[in-house]
Amino acid sequence: MNLAEGVQLVSLLLLSAMMLGAALGVVLLSNIVYSAFLLGGVFVSISGLYILLNAGFVAAAQVLIYVGAVNVLILFGIMLVNKQRDFTPIPNAWIGKLATGVVCLGLFALLGAMVLGTPWALSTEAAAGDAAIMLIGEHFFSDFLLPFELASILLLMALVGAIILARREFLPDEDLDQPADQVLTLPERPRELVSAGSTGNTADESGDR
Amino acid sequence: MFVLSGYEYLLGFLLVCSLVPALALSASKLLRPSTRGPERRTTYESGMEPVGGAWIQFNIRYYMFALVFVIFDVETVFLYPWAVAFHRLGLLAFVEALIFIAILVIGLVYAWRKGALEWS
Repeated sequence: MNLAEGVQLVSLLLLSAMMLGAALGVVLLSNIVYSAFLLGGVFVSISGLYILLNAGFVAAAQVLIYVGAVNVLILFGIMLVNKQRDFTPIPNAWIGKLATGVVCLGLFALLGAMVLGTPWALSTEAAAGDAAIMLIGEHFFSDFLLPFELASILLLMALVGAIILARREFLPDEDLDQPADQVLTLPERPRELVSAGSTGNTADESGDR
Repeated sequence: MFVLSGYEYLLGFLLVCSLVPALALSASKLLRPSTRGPERRTTYESGMEPVGGAWIQFNIRYYMFALVFVIFDVETVFLYPWAVAFHRLGLLAFVEALIFIAILVIGLVYAWRKGALEWS
């Protein structure tokens, strides 16, 4: 074993240990915010594994999307609903725990059987390395053009749906106002100015000066 | 075969990044006077007095900005291979990428018109 293989093996072991530890923390910690931050650790470790597999673009996309966007969304989602309430113990909770355990063990057995049953035939070609980005680009604009354009429509749908849901346009006004007073813990202007649009903003800005 | 060729700088950065907090904390531990007054336990010493708890419920507006960010983040990832392979793809790919961007600009215009980008 030469130096390069040793570095690779040590990196693989370190990344695997990081990933397993963080994943265990996600499951076992009772504070959900810590779990969310540790989930970011899991994603970073996966991106390190991608780098070890010579897939730099996938690693960058993993960091950019999963760590930078999805994990931040999860954190925001937790902070938006973060109500400190005490969970009273449910009677017969062991049934639910048993069912969860059975499902998790079954899933583990299924995935394990799949891992063991798959013939991991390694390609004899050299890894594309840095040229992979160019290959991905060429595939995007030749044989994967339709999924590429459909992705933009999917993103558009997600954006419009997010705006409609977040602005709560389809809820009646009294539902919109009363929880908003409790939610607004940051010093902000009241919610009525939102619908007033740009005129309210300019009036406030001139008033500030 | 050294699969990590070109990533020596990344390893160096990781090393420096992991050293910085340890060195900063241990240096300040060595240098600072060890007093245990009540002032020391405030969040911002000789700064603003914090009001209320830190575990508060955040406004929905942050979530909206995060959602808009996610969508344009994914768009960036899709456009990056196109930018790298730009000189090999030609005019047709340029038009196709313009269509891709135009569809997403519709969403941006919608968000803008709906006031989702305003912090009001």
